[in-house]
Amino acid sequence: MNAHKPEPLTLSLSVNGQTYDLQVPARKLLSDVLREDLGLTGTHVGCEHGVCGACTVLIDGRPARACLTFAAQMEGHDITTIEAVGRPDALSVLQQALHEEHGLQCGFCTPGIVMTFEHYLRENPAPTADEVRDVLSGNLCRCTGYQNIVAAVLKAAARMRGEAA
Amino acid sequence: MSDAFTEIGRALPRKEDRRLVTGRGRYLDDLAFPGALHVSFVRSPHAHARILGIDSVEAAAMPGVMGVFTGRDLDQWTTRLRLAPPIEGLQPTELTTLPIDKVRFHGDPVACVVATDRYLAEDAAECVVVDYEQIPAVTSIEEAFAPDAVLVDETLSSNMVSHQSLCVGDPAARRAEAHRVVSARFALHRHTHAPLETRGCVADWDDGRAHLNMHIGNQVPHPLRSQLAARLGLSESQVTVMSPDVGGAFGQKIALYREELAVAALSRHLRHPLRWREDRMENLMAAAHAREYECRTRAAVSETGKILGLELEIDEDFGGYCFYPANYMARVIALIMTGPYRIQDYAYEVRVALTNKCGAGPMRAPMAVTSWVMEGTIDAIARELGLDPVEVRRINALGPGDLPYTMPTGEVLEDVTPKETLETAVAAIDVAAFRERQARARSEGRYLGLGLCTVIESTTYGSEFYKSAGIPGSGHEAAWVRIEPSGAVNASVGLMGTGQGYESPLAQAVAEGLGVRSEDVTVHMGNTDIAPYGMGSRGGRGATAGGGTLYLCALKARERVLAIAASMLDLNDAGGLRMRAGHIERMIGEDWQKTGLALTDIARRAYLDPLALPEGVAPGLDFSHSYDPPAMTYSNSTHACEVEVDPQTGAISIDRYIVAEDCGTVLNPIVVRGQQQGAIAMGLSGALLEQVIYDGAGQNLSATLADYLVASPNELPEFEILHHHTPNQRTPAGIKGMAEGGVMGAIGVIANAVSDALAPHGMTIERLPLTPQSICALLQEAATSPAKRTQL
Repeated sequence: MNAHKPEPLTLSLSVNGQTYDLQVPARKLLSDVLREDLGLTGTHVGCEHGVCGACTVLIDGRPARACLTFAAQMEGHDITTIEAVGRPDALSVLQQALHEEHGLQCGFCTPGIVMTFEHYLRENPAPTADEVRDVLSGNLCRCTGYQNIVAAVLKAAARMRGEAA
Repeated sequence: MSDAFTEIGRALPRKEDRRLVTGRGRYLDDLAFPGALHVSFVRSPHAHARILGIDSVEAAAMPGVMGVFTGRDLDQWTTRLRLAPPIEGLQPTELTTLPIDKVRFHGDPVACVVATDRYLAEDAAECVVVDYEQIPAVTSIEEAFAPDAVLVDETLSSNMVSHQSLCVGDPAARRAEAHRVVSARFALHRHTHAPLETRGCVADWDDGRAHLNMHIGNQVPHPLRSQLAARLGLSESQVTVMSPDVGGAFGQKIALYREELAVAALSRHLRHPLRWREDRMENLMAAAHAREYECRTRAAVSETGKILGLELEIDEDFGGYCFYPANYMARVIALIMTGPYRIQDYAYEVRVALTNKCGAGPMRAPMAVTSWVMEGTIDAIARELGLDPVEVRRINALGPGDLPYTMPTGEVLEDVTPKETLETAVAAIDVAAFRERQARARSEGRYLGLGLCTVIESTTYGSEFYKSAGIPGSGHEAAWVRIEPSGAVNASVGLMGTGQGYESPLAQAVAEGLGVRSEDVTVHMGNTDIAPYGMGSRGGRGATAGGGTLYLCALKARERVLAIAASMLDLNDAGGLRMRAGHIERMIGEDWQKTGLALTDIARRAYLDPLALPEGVAPGLDFSHSYDPPAMTYSNSTHACEVEVDPQTGAISIDRYIVAEDCGTVLNPIVVRGQQQGAIAMGLSGALLEQVIYDGAGQNLSATLADYLVASPNELPEFEILHHHTPNQRTPAGIKGMAEGGVMGAIGVIANAVSDALAPHGMTIERLPLTPQSICALLQEAATSPAKRTQL
């Protein structure tokens, strides 16, 4: 056990299009830096071992677990968090569909689900329900039983394709 | 449902969604407290051991560490938790805030590190050296009740911390005269709640005011405040509990846990804000566990399958500590066991064991095992007598002519529809067509099964229930409704939501009573300085107790508003007036017509021109109300599900899942449907995958989410929900409550369906969970001993 307080590293992080110059310990998780150092508390921490998916953010546009990533590894990468996707008075298509379909209850897992599918629907505009369930299996939800989340993703996909739904 | 309602019953999307879906919710860890110190607990690596000494010299000298505290320290600053309700057969228990002499389970907190940062606090916690002397661990009910068992709690006379029995009618005589006596066994395994947000708190002692501000996601803010004040030796005026958005609770966030009390006591001691957030391992190991039961039934039956008498034995593994009276959960199971069926000769015996495991608490549907036990017994009767399980249900089910029905335990069922939901579910699933498919599949070596499970769900517990249970406490709820000078409507109630989505349905209850639009009502919850003292959220009481109280309070407000309106319109009384969407309307001829007066006008007069109010009417528009629901309200449902079991892999696929439900008047169908889906999902996840596993030495082997498996979308089906809406005649607006019955039904229906599927192998499911490994092991066993009919 290291009895000395670790020296912080100086690093530059690009989050939601903004550059932040920070001093953080080398071992500090990206999830903790986003939440504590940048005040971006929409990224939630549910398990700290990469299973629950609540902390999902986009790294260079692809979903990743912020709890399994050190902030110090993120220099030169673009990070996108839930704060860059919609606002309460201007929901994204997917967020609006989650609201309409009752695809969330406690909401703790929701930002991770939104980040996963904001990415997925860009690359897969016309998924089947089974495909959505398969992708969603990386995000645990303890409240809903998933049925309404699947319906919301399918509804959002249809709307993003320009189909009435 | 009554057509007269305009706001109750609207499919209004949830108000809280916009902030939650955009990551703008404020959960505990999202709240910033500059300079707050972080707490980490040192936990026992042993299931059962004496604490010989704690050496914190090295840890205390580490960077950022402000102090290391033990159970002995905290015992000076807190009082002990003594649970000694006057219940026959219940041994009194007493706990210190942290263990002092002995640990009782793997994960028991023994010391507490305070540091400037969570990482540093955890580093230091690893350097606290505890000298343990191991004691043999008690890890099963059988071991706990063995004559020479080691005592888990050395102040008790035995590990049987609670033992009750009841005999009504003459079950022994029924057995003697029966055509057959059918026995069945049911072992439900240890679960845990696993909310996505783990436990945590921020205790912010305000030294100048001598006041504790406790920020904590909790279901019952006021009872928690009472506990905190009492255990810290403070007045209830010196404690404010504030619950922010909560990431799920399911019963885990009711009790005042030892860690939370320690954090509060240390905030006061150090005169500093302190925060604690447990990690997932701590949550799975040491928060609270639930549901570990072994149940046995004996049913005396006639040749046609009519139940003449029923005897029930329940043994519960309660873990190492009592945060609730030990009879708390099992007693309800025994009380409502006969549920949907006409049974009068009934006996039960309930024994609760202390073991060296995490303490048990209520988990969404604390009585969940009930429906599996009763419906599994029904299936056992059908099997042994060669009868159709649907027919056995039909001849025993309570129909409209039986109601109100007093169960042998004295519980009264009224306005329930078990026979109707059974028929709805049976018709929807088309049992005859299924049996044909099943026969065809069997001839191809495929195993399909159909399960049925009718549920009587105890939802709202009134004070009368607690009194008859001998538990001090109340089942009432309290609310206030305030119309502000601008006409804005605020309301509050003692509930606290943890994801249910209270903000829309409770606004609907207020809006209905008052006569405004639900969109224009804001309901404030979770802050004990703002909300009235209520009993909080537990069981299925939110709608009946919370919604019902708000509705009654809003009716009171409406009466005043209409009286003022009548005087402003120069009418003698408010008889011909009503308010709709905040506008006063008057009956003229056969029509309701606008008067031009609105709630804003009445509010302005009440606050800004009170001398113009009618004589005897006090200024302002501020109302409060409390309401005590009936002793118990019940909802009911019938679950039906079709499964296929793959004998090669042991995998179970759910091909169809139907529920016919009756929860009376629905405040908001979107939210109710979501609760029903979520409850079924939790039941199935528990029955199929989840399991807290302890080895023989009491080591917890399931402390990550990769070991404690919560269902993903790939394991869960779509749920088809069919509605009956029979209002309760004795509650406000006919509300009954719900949100737990889905768990009860899911556990029973999946077990019964798999038993049906595996019937050709001569197997019956007597033990959950139904993991692929457990199914394969069963099939192997059946293959090697063909005579064997049941699980070991």
